[in-house]
Amino acid sequence: MINDANSIPNAAYLQADVCIIGAGPAGIAMTLDLSARGLSVLLLESGYMQLDAKTQSLYEGEVADERMHSPPDKYRQRRLGGSSAIWGGRCMPFDPIDFETRSYIPYSGWPLSYEDLLPYYPQANALSEAGRFSYQAEDALGPRVAPMIQGFNSARVLTSGLERFSCPTHFGSRYAKQLELAPNVRVLLGANCTALRLQPDGRAVRSVEVTTLAGRRFSAACRTTVLAMGGIETARLLLASRDVTPAGVGNAHDVVGRYYMCHIAGNVGKLNVHGPVKNVRHGYEVSPEGVYCRRRLAVSASEQRRLGLANTVARLHFPRITDPAHQNGVLSGLFLARKLISYEYGKRLNDGNAATPAVYARHLLNVVKDPLDTTAFLTHWLTHRSLAERKFPSVILSNRTNRFSFEMHGEQIPQAQSRVMLGDKVDALGMPQVRVDWRYSSADIDSIRRTLDVMAQEFALSGVAHFEYDANTLEEDLVRFGAYGGHHIGTARMGLDARTSVVNADCQVHSVHNLFVAGSAVFPTSSQANPTLTLIALSLRLSHTLAKRLGQRPAIVAEEAFA
Amino acid sequence: MKVLVLGGSGHIGARLIQTLANSGQHSPTGASRNAAKARPAGAEWLKLDSCNAAELADALRGFDAVVNCVAGDADSISKGAQALVQAALSANCPRIIHLSTMSVYGPVEGMVREDAPLNPGLGWYGRAKCQAEQQIGEFARQGGQAVVLRPGCVFGPGSELWVGRIGRFLQAGRLGDLGIGGDGWSNLVHVDDVCRAITAALHLPVNSGNVPTFNLAAPDSPRWNEYFVDLALAMGIAPVRRIRRRQLKLDAWLAGPPLKIAQVASKALKIPSSALPDPLPPGLLGLWSQHIHLDAHRASEELRVAWMPYAAALESSVAWLLKSKNPALLTRHPA
Repeated sequence: MINDANSIPNAAYLQADVCIIGAGPAGIAMTLDLSARGLSVLLLESGYMQLDAKTQSLYEGEVADERMHSPPDKYRQRRLGGSSAIWGGRCMPFDPIDFETRSYIPYSGWPLSYEDLLPYYPQANALSEAGRFSYQAEDALGPRVAPMIQGFNSARVLTSGLERFSCPTHFGSRYAKQLELAPNVRVLLGANCTALRLQPDGRAVRSVEVTTLAGRRFSAACRTTVLAMGGIETARLLLASRDVTPAGVGNAHDVVGRYYMCHIAGNVGKLNVHGPVKNVRHGYEVSPEGVYCRRRLAVSASEQRRLGLANTVARLHFPRITDPAHQNGVLSGLFLARKLISYEYGKRLNDGNAATPAVYARHLLNVVKDPLDTTAFLTHWLTHRSLAERKFPSVILSNRTNRFSFEMHGEQIPQAQSRVMLGDKVDALGMPQVRVDWRYSSADIDSIRRTLDVMAQEFALSGVAHFEYDANTLEEDLVRFGAYGGHHIGTARMGLDARTSVVNADCQVHSVHNLFVAGSAVFPTSSQANPTLTLIALSLRLSHTLAKRLGQRPAIVAEEAFA
Repeated sequence: MKVLVLGGSGHIGARLIQTLANSGQHSPTGASRNAAKARPAGAEWLKLDSCNAAELADALRGFDAVVNCVAGDADSISKGAQALVQAALSANCPRIIHLSTMSVYGPVEGMVREDAPLNPGLGWYGRAKCQAEQQIGEFARQGGQAVVLRPGCVFGPGSELWVGRIGRFLQAGRLGDLGIGGDGWSNLVHVDDVCRAITAALHLPVNSGNVPTFNLAAPDSPRWNEYFVDLALAMGIAPVRRIRRRQLKLDAWLAGPPLKIAQVASKALKIPSSALPDPLPPGLLGLWSQHIHLDAHRASEELRVAWMPYAAALESSVAWLLKSKNPALLTRHPA
């Protein structure tokens, strides 16, 4: 059932086998799975079905450098479904190499392997409505599928990998009815968790303090508690819960909030493919289950190890939108309409340089000179995106020239100085706001530079294409828009050593035996991949772990005992 | 055991007669308003009107049990059941196995056991089936032995409703992944599992006054979306389309009535209606999004039904579909 938290009496104690804080993709996936495994779940969600401005403002905070990181209330939504309400839907699993301890990546190495997570990926794929768990072109699209670039066969640079796209599925609206009907599940909307109360010895959660914006206060005292609040909010709650452990829960070694990662992303270089345009597959292809898929370029794992490279992918992209020199009506139209596009999707249409009237005029000219293309694009956009339930994932232009740039998406090397911490201000419920100080390092940029070098060499060797980039502007190109928005990773990292990690391989906070963390906060490294699919898979693994720990005995039905 | 199967030319009835005849333990007789299309070896056939109690009573004499698989309009269902009860009592036929439906639970959602209240709120079909069950209860009160089976959606070879029609919808691009609209449980059950349950029900000990009642749905039956995508892929229809709710509604409410009229007209004029697109009944939209999940534990335990796994049931449905003579479905072949 789904109720408003304001219907709970003041000072009530709610009980269940598992209390999950946060109803985003991780929390919803776990709730449905735990219910199916016979356990009772109390799912606490701060927001409602629709976005609520007062609730959303609880996400406000400060950033150390506005150019490097978006304000904390952007790219996140505090509502049922969480940020899946605004995500782009890109799905792909982490690679086996991501889990390895790589001597050339400090603090790398997961306490679990790719194979440990593999059994949970297909269900994560299904929940994300991204079709089969199949990420190689020949397997997903059929054995006779054409290669990404005809004639380019390299053992060092792979082009057969795919990313798949969710609808993008809004987990709140998509799964509300399943949550409503799931046995032994109680979802409370408007329930803000303001503190974790530990037992006096600090080794277990005694209760979770819940407050509503209308002033209702009650507690949840469950057998286990799972934080599924996203990479920033998890650190905030752990750090702000200081009554028994003054440094915050799980923070004896000052690790909570540190090693904060996003992804390094930007458009770089020029790829010129020789031969006819039909030799290149740069856009979306549709798998038999009807899912949009796209190819990507990646350096093989063995070459990554040999050369000491972080994991990075490149997609074929069009020229920089902001520069009218591309003479493309569609791109110029996008530039001119950027104020109408939401912050999250419009951000990369503003490169920080103020557009002069001359630039506007040149964009306008591009649109006027290219009416057919612009009309065809708008028609496709209307039918395949605006009106479609499975949305065409992004702007793809027809390829007329075989000239592309690379859209990079790269792993960020963990560093303790990059962090989420508590700020000086408090929110409407008295919780300290966050301060985000995201950092990248020259090693991040250098790794991408060397990755691009490998790609350039392999294209030259193949004779089918030429790639070049400007090493002098590479860093600027990659950090022009700062951290890639929405990927909040590493703030409660997983590891075997409590001095450099917050949770163990079971996602349990080292020092608190009944407190767990679900979500990308626990990822020790960030991979090339977007985090959502993997955080859902890891959450499903966690619910399996909890079911084993709590036993298959009949569930305690969620009930209230009045204090 | 001498068994009369009413509705013997229907999907379940025909398969049941074949199953009983092959079992060697039963001598089945099929009965229907029409002559048998293809009478199975080892089975007798009676042509009769199952709404006529006197005719039915004559036919029932000497049978150990009667299985009611009659489909049709509201009258054939409810008045037919009434006639059957009267006839069985007067002919001293000791046992009725009555095929009911999950529609008797109405629009309820969640896990549903056999003790859930009946709810005639889903339209004429559910109402008629509720009335039929009440009639069967009357038979038990008067000393007869009755077993009621409530299957979900019966698929497998011969299932025009849940395989043939769905296949045609998929092929025409009118059906696919429906998102929330197809999130309901399919409660699919293979026709052979239904036949096994009926066979077990023929021998089930029944206490006087009791009507043992069983839900029939394979425990691993998926949600509708999964079935639609699996069926489409097995038929070689790719890519599977994501269908918007609005498109489904337009199909059901706007295109539905004229298609239904055309279907009725072509039947009246004796023109084959196979060339016409099937109308999409609005009730199906409700069914596909209704999260009703039949709990079939009781049938597993008391009737000892060993459910056919979903993958095998799907495969047998697709094999029938691709072999069937429907020209619309022979144009494409699986990849």
